[in-house]
Amino acid sequence: MYLTPPLKRSPNQPDDDSRRTFLRRSAQLTFTGMALPTLLNLSAMGQAAAMVAPDGSYKALVCVFMYGGNDYANTVVTYDDPSYNLYSTIRGGGAGQTAGGIALAKAALTPTLLTPTTALPDGRQYAFHPSMTGLAALFNAGKVAVQLNVGPLVKPMTKAQYKGTDRTQFPVPPKLFSHNDQQSLWQSSSPEGSTIGWGGNVGDLALQFNSNRLFTCISVTGNAVFLAGDAALSYQVSSGGAVKIKAATDQYTYGSTLVKNAMLAITQQTRSHVLENEYNKVTQRAIGAELLVTAALTSAAAVDTTAAPNPNFAPFNAEVLRDNSLASQLKIVARLIAGRGALGSPKRQVFFVSLGGFDLHDDLVVNHVRNMRRVNDAMTAFYQSTELLGVASSVTTFTASDFGRTLSSNGDGSDHGWGSHHLVMGGAVKGAAFYGTAPPVSTSETTAAADQWHVGQGRLLPTTSVDQYAATLATWFGVEEAELSGANGILPNLANFNNLPASAATGNIAYPRNLGFMNAP
Amino acid sequence: MVENSTLPTPAALSVLAAALLAACGGGGGGDAASGTNTGDDSGTGGNGTGGALPLQEIPVPAAPGFNNFPQAASNEEAARFILQSQLSASDEEIAALRTSAGTGTYALYLQKQFAKPVGQTGWQWLEQRGYGAADKYRYFFGKAQADFMLWNQLFTAQDSMRKRCALALSEFFVASLESAEFDWRSHGFAQYWDILVGNAFGNFRKLLEDVTLSPAMGYYLNTKGNQKEDGRGRLPDENYAREVMQLFTIGLVKLSLDGTEQIGPDGKKLESYTQDDVTNLARVFTGYDFDTSDGVRVPVLRADGSAESYTLPSRAFTQKPMSLKPERHSPLAASFLGTTIAAGTPGPAALQTALDTLFNHPNVGPFFGKQMVQRLVTSNPSPAYVARVAAAFNNDGKGVRGNLQAVWAAIFLDDEARNPQNQSSTSFGKLREPMLRFVQWGRSFGIKSVGDSWKMFDTSAAADRLAQSPLHAPSVFNFFRPGFVPPNTALASTKSTAPEFQIVNETTVGGYLNYMKDVIRYGIFTGDPLVPHLTNGEKYTSTINATYLKELALVADPAALVRRLNLLLCAGQMSAATQNIITTALAGTALRPATDKPEDIANSRLDRVCAGVLLTMASADYLVQK
Repeated sequence: MYLTPPLKRSPNQPDDDSRRTFLRRSAQLTFTGMALPTLLNLSAMGQAAAMVAPDGSYKALVCVFMYGGNDYANTVVTYDDPSYNLYSTIRGGGAGQTAGGIALAKAALTPTLLTPTTALPDGRQYAFHPSMTGLAALFNAGKVAVQLNVGPLVKPMTKAQYKGTDRTQFPVPPKLFSHNDQQSLWQSSSPEGSTIGWGGNVGDLALQFNSNRLFTCISVTGNAVFLAGDAALSYQVSSGGAVKIKAATDQYTYGSTLVKNAMLAITQQTRSHVLENEYNKVTQRAIGAELLVTAALTSAAAVDTTAAPNPNFAPFNAEVLRDNSLASQLKIVARLIAGRGALGSPKRQVFFVSLGGFDLHDDLVVNHVRNMRRVNDAMTAFYQSTELLGVASSVTTFTASDFGRTLSSNGDGSDHGWGSHHLVMGGAVKGAAFYGTAPPVSTSETTAAADQWHVGQGRLLPTTSVDQYAATLATWFGVEEAELSGANGILPNLANFNNLPASAATGNIAYPRNLGFMNAP
Repeated sequence: MVENSTLPTPAALSVLAAALLAACGGGGGGDAASGTNTGDDSGTGGNGTGGALPLQEIPVPAAPGFNNFPQAASNEEAARFILQSQLSASDEEIAALRTSAGTGTYALYLQKQFAKPVGQTGWQWLEQRGYGAADKYRYFFGKAQADFMLWNQLFTAQDSMRKRCALALSEFFVASLESAEFDWRSHGFAQYWDILVGNAFGNFRKLLEDVTLSPAMGYYLNTKGNQKEDGRGRLPDENYAREVMQLFTIGLVKLSLDGTEQIGPDGKKLESYTQDDVTNLARVFTGYDFDTSDGVRVPVLRADGSAESYTLPSRAFTQKPMSLKPERHSPLAASFLGTTIAAGTPGPAALQTALDTLFNHPNVGPFFGKQMVQRLVTSNPSPAYVARVAAAFNNDGKGVRGNLQAVWAAIFLDDEARNPQNQSSTSFGKLREPMLRFVQWGRSFGIKSVGDSWKMFDTSAAADRLAQSPLHAPSVFNFFRPGFVPPNTALASTKSTAPEFQIVNETTVGGYLNYMKDVIRYGIFTGDPLVPHLTNGEKYTSTINATYLKELALVADPAALVRRLNLLLCAGQMSAATQNIITTALAGTALRPATDKPEDIANSRLDRVCAGVLLTMASADYLVQK
């Protein structure tokens, strides 16, 4: 399924879905040879909505991608004594539940213990990494939920099926444990080379609500396939805002208006060579959008200067922003949301931010403190800012990463894994709760039930698929059920998890289509 | 595009290999260049004849798909060849290519480049500049001088083809300064660069081993300090074992000779290794650490000449391969890729077997060869082109596998690279990498650094620099992936790759243009160029500048100036329409009259030249190298 692109991604496949065909066709109209981001309101052109926006209110999805593969076991840390003791033994912890190897001390976890409204079965308890104090408080206040053991899956899969050889009936995601490919799978359901992500596909459906389509999908970090749709494209801003191309937009270049004008012409001209043309199209978009983005960021709602600090962004204080590119990125997202009036008041937006440095084969304990501090400070400040802006229930932030890591230690780090735990944050999140199934703490290879949810060295075999995770977020965003799965759907494998009940065949894991961590749309 | 499924005949490659050997002074095929510290102290010399033996042209016969365009028919064709294979083109190089030995073949020109001595090494440059001192400036702790070293190497190299190939290798064997956190890290990365440079015209197998055991790679992918399993749950670090397969040798999917992915009977791609292969191979890379066996500790001197309380290891380890601690090496058997290393095999023997196994895997030729073609010539080479390059990797004609000279020759002499008609294709070529544009600019216009300080920092910042800097990839996956297909473009519908577009977005297009606008006209601002160190709060002044001597001579004739820029920067690939836009803008902006102050006249002349350079370097005609 992954290896032959799904129908909707085949450029040669006749497309009988008139709405999507329309979206594609209008994409060509909109993004070929335009001088400025075009104002094109699809709903005004009488197209059927495939996304609901009942009250026309604002919603945003924000993906926080942790590049490198986050170590799940030291992020959402098992806390109840039996589980903690297993964890400590496997990770080389010290006697008496003290730190050692790559295990955290139990006492250090007490301040970040998570207290869900409904306790997990079997006495299982978790705490966040000790650096995640703000997020632990938000969890306990009901603003953060944890999705346990989620990762790419084609179909529900048990360990026996994984270890078996029947790949026709039990396909595994391609290129497991490979950074670039698993990043791509998380973002787009396909390995490297993929050109359509589910954030972008959600954006496709949101275009109809946004008078300026360009500001539907916005990345504040490098290029990522997540935000690329059939029609929606990823617009990129830096954490300092949109870059003004001075030589093409100042009054003079090297003292000459003629040179400035030549610059404007040369950098935006249509070319017959495909690479040349695509490069100029990016420049064209950059020049066209820069004025609007700068206007948005300098509007009264979004402006924030040293001389006139804006209290709505005060949570992003100097300490939070120190050495924390994720915080800088999320701050600009908060400001863009605040200033969206100048971007045509989009009703639905998808944002992408990221942080690197998670591939901790070495020095895990030390470097994970740094990473978790950054994630905690940035996400906590972002949530607080959205509360101050009055949009906390309209903005849902979720984490993603290449993969989880091994539970076993390689000395002072962990290696590439598969499933991981992730966080969902916002006023519309049914927080103070765990979703999914708490995986047994194990690296053993016996037939015991406790050893069935890892595929070696504690690499978690996911019990929730990324498709379910994405579907739950997309449903809250307003995407209609019919858009999610099927040949033309956003999530090609979702149909394989179609509310499958727990049974012996699934290893007693249920696969709900909606994981339940979001309020109704 | 030229598509031809026939490979060069062994005879053709054999003669080519003989020619290359003559150029190397008869050194043995694979190891003509040693990996470490082979620079001669005559510095950046290199007069084109280099070695002791006089070069004689040995004709390289044409084979189907190969060397059917043996000579440059014009200065533009000569510049095109030079800009694919070197960092920049000059009048002298163009002339040399066209007139060498009276016949002027590309093959002879290649031989001459292969024969040029390696210039001063990066490590030597650091020492010469005083960065080996252990004093209050704490160079052992800094990275900036590694950037200074790299810019010096790239902007001043006389062995420009070797450096160009080394830079391409640095994007395949990726180790990055971004996360280098060990004492003498700049020396360690200088050594890494020297390994790439030293082996660029040598053999892939030796390069692979030198890279594997280098301190920089050892630190970067955790071979340094990697330990055997302890029987209590601790297992070897898998990082290098995985990435050496995925990225440095065989890749994830089984490949045919022409680089196409092999499909199994179930219709799925055949993956080339499994997690078990990784876990087993990881055992081979246990037991290594920096070689500080000389035991020398270096005192760190304070400003007053007294010693700090701590000492450092001597920087000598940065020039040595990592050493093996046998007691930390896994004694377990290791089975991977169909090879089994018996339990108890000593570490050095196990390493040789492992690297031989990887090196001899049939994927390496097409996997490596295709990526080098992408870096140097075109983003989407035809399968036939890849097959010809892979065949040269597999056998240089004399039975040697992995001869990189044969690989470069196969890449640059291939009809697909040379056929002038490909320049009018609407898809051939590649986006020039930002760091290469920057280096080409400086070299083309006589860049000089006051005091030879080259105090230029990393240019990675996306919003106001180049979104790229040598040896600063954000991860081992390089700045961009060879399989990257830009979404929402015409390329996406044809699944065409354009790796360099992975760092093209609305931020980076402006970052590049804004940075170039400043440096083209005003140069690079540095701290005091007459001392090696950096100090806080020092005043930065412009000390690294292009001189534009030949361009200023043409300033009164904008059309001639643009023709020159078109040749040197674009190999004549600028469209008439773009030339016209630029020429009109330059001509329409008057120079100051002779009656004005000399300073104002000089400024207006420089403005015009710089406007021509900036407009050229902003044009898509230039940005996409065809």
